[in-house]
Amino acid sequence: MPAGVFKETYEADMAFIRYPIHKAALIAAIIALLAAPAVLDRYYLSLATTALIFWVAVMGLNITVGLAGQISLAHAALMGVGAYTVAHAALKLGLNAVLAVPLAGITAMAISVLLSLPSFKLKEYYLAMASLAAQLLLEYAFSRIDPDQYTPVPPEAKVLAGVDLNNPVNLYYFTALVAVLMAVIAANIARSTYGRAMKAVRDNDVAASIVGVDVPLTKALAFAIGGFYAGVAGGLYAIYSVGIGWEAFTLIVSIELLGMVLVGGPGRVVWGSLLGVLTLRTGWTLLESQLTPLLSALGMTAYASAFKYIVLGAVITATIILEPEGLIAVLRRVKEYFRLWPYSY
Amino acid sequence: MSLEEWSNLVFQGILLGVLYSLVAMGYNIVYRVNKSINFAVPQVVLLAAYVSLIVAVAVGSFIAAIIAAVLVSIAVSMALERTVARPLLGRPPVALIGATLGVFYALKGVVLIVGGSRVATIPIDIDYYEVGPLDIATNDVISLAGALPVFASVVILHRKTRFGAAMRAVAEDAEGAAAYGLPVKRLMLAGWALAGLVGGLGSILLAIKTQVSPELEYFAIRALAASLIAGLDSLGGVIVGGIALGLAEQIGSKILDPYLPGIGRDIAFLVLLIVLFVRPYGLFGSERIERV
Repeated sequence: MPAGVFKETYEADMAFIRYPIHKAALIAAIIALLAAPAVLDRYYLSLATTALIFWVAVMGLNITVGLAGQISLAHAALMGVGAYTVAHAALKLGLNAVLAVPLAGITAMAISVLLSLPSFKLKEYYLAMASLAAQLLLEYAFSRIDPDQYTPVPPEAKVLAGVDLNNPVNLYYFTALVAVLMAVIAANIARSTYGRAMKAVRDNDVAASIVGVDVPLTKALAFAIGGFYAGVAGGLYAIYSVGIGWEAFTLIVSIELLGMVLVGGPGRVVWGSLLGVLTLRTGWTLLESQLTPLLSALGMTAYASAFKYIVLGAVITATIILEPEGLIAVLRRVKEYFRLWPYSY
Repeated sequence: MSLEEWSNLVFQGILLGVLYSLVAMGYNIVYRVNKSINFAVPQVVLLAAYVSLIVAVAVGSFIAAIIAAVLVSIAVSMALERTVARPLLGRPPVALIGATLGVFYALKGVVLIVGGSRVATIPIDIDYYEVGPLDIATNDVISLAGALPVFASVVILHRKTRFGAAMRAVAEDAEGAAAYGLPVKRLMLAGWALAGLVGGLGSILLAIKTQVSPELEYFAIRALAASLIAGLDSLGGVIVGGIALGLAEQIGSKILDPYLPGIGRDIAFLVLLIVLFVRPYGLFGSERIERV
């Protein structure tokens, strides 16, 4: 047992803010979130907005994969379901895009529950393959709904109660509001009865059923919540975009999302997911903007997307092999070192 | 549709099915020795096909193209065993799924550099023959003649030789096999190499039968579906599963196409979901009994 300050009650151990560093990080994060539009120019603001959107999606996948241990390779397709729901509700029904976002979440949730049915019988590789099959079948459905790969999202549908979401600053604050709300919900799901039931199912589903956990219900719930998050993220993506095409929701995006969960920290729903998005999406975009002049100087501009795949793929594989709990475990080790310093034994 | 059209449809279905089973066998062998699926195979297949195309154009000999494809596939497969699968031994399946998908992602970049997304055919002379009601082309003959001996030798290797018995022992219980003095790690490496060999051969035969294009990636994913339809731990079942899938795809797309244009590519996944609902461990797979 190392030296240091330890929590003595269960409540203290499960609290949101356990150490001074958590408080400091939270305050810094809130200030950064609120001040971002004042500091960042349009390009970086849109980068921040997409990061928030993907954060919502990855939190959902982290609940399905990280908490409940149910592998899903259909998450990008579920995002697509949400995005098409919003686009079509605005186009065909004249519904306000903002009001259509919950609808998008519910539609994706319904399809996700349908996808959870194989998980009652299947595990691991078989389940991964069943969700991969679902992803490709949904891609086929998208290609029938949207053969031109372009469905416009009408700008007049993005105005609610005088707030115009076509303005990037308004859009940023709206996305941030939704993302933070979803993050608070996700953090509480992880601490609730259902969250602990999911962890039990992940660690050993037979043992979980013996102690009285309703395993099929827990699995269905994990898929339902994951699907809802994916649908909301897809809806936000549709509001963010001028028009959507299904090439944004293909298998390779599903792999990216799974990569973000595993790189950030599986089971660490809020901060792990954020770290995964910031590393694999925002981090790469920032790196790419630095890399592009170098590549064009070398005359290798055509290989830019190839480098993206090679670097990110290597990062995903290396992180999984070297750091099973994701990059957030590295942060935790750093935090623990300084918390216990200088008596870290 | 006339009898002649039907018989050609069935023949093409069987031919595709044989190639499906060849690629599916690669997944199967890896699953047997390592209890894991190598999700990177689709990109390895594509990479091998592009390399063989480049070699075939440069050297002008299609034997050289076959050798190149097989060598690339074996090399990548063995490298994956050493750098990805072995460090992950004993970790939960999600780690291996994630890691091989990461390799899938990285290899996609390599494929983009090597081949772009070109569509091309391997340069060989194709003649057409009429045998009864069947129209047979030279490339059909090559793919059948290439695939069947490989099936036979893998099955014989697996069932009749000491090496095959050792591999089956590792598949059954790696720790027990190690206790009997079997070189488990070397056998696993050999398993992955064998999987690479079948995969590479499947890749080049596919390229000869159809063409080299990014579509081969989806073919290999459908082959994984075939392998699951058969059941991951059944070597003989893979052949039946692959041929059943090839037939289902040809006949299904013919029947469904007027209602659902372009469904052909995704029939495999419909069949897979139905099979997994009815028999979760595949048609010929053995059910695992879990203890706590």
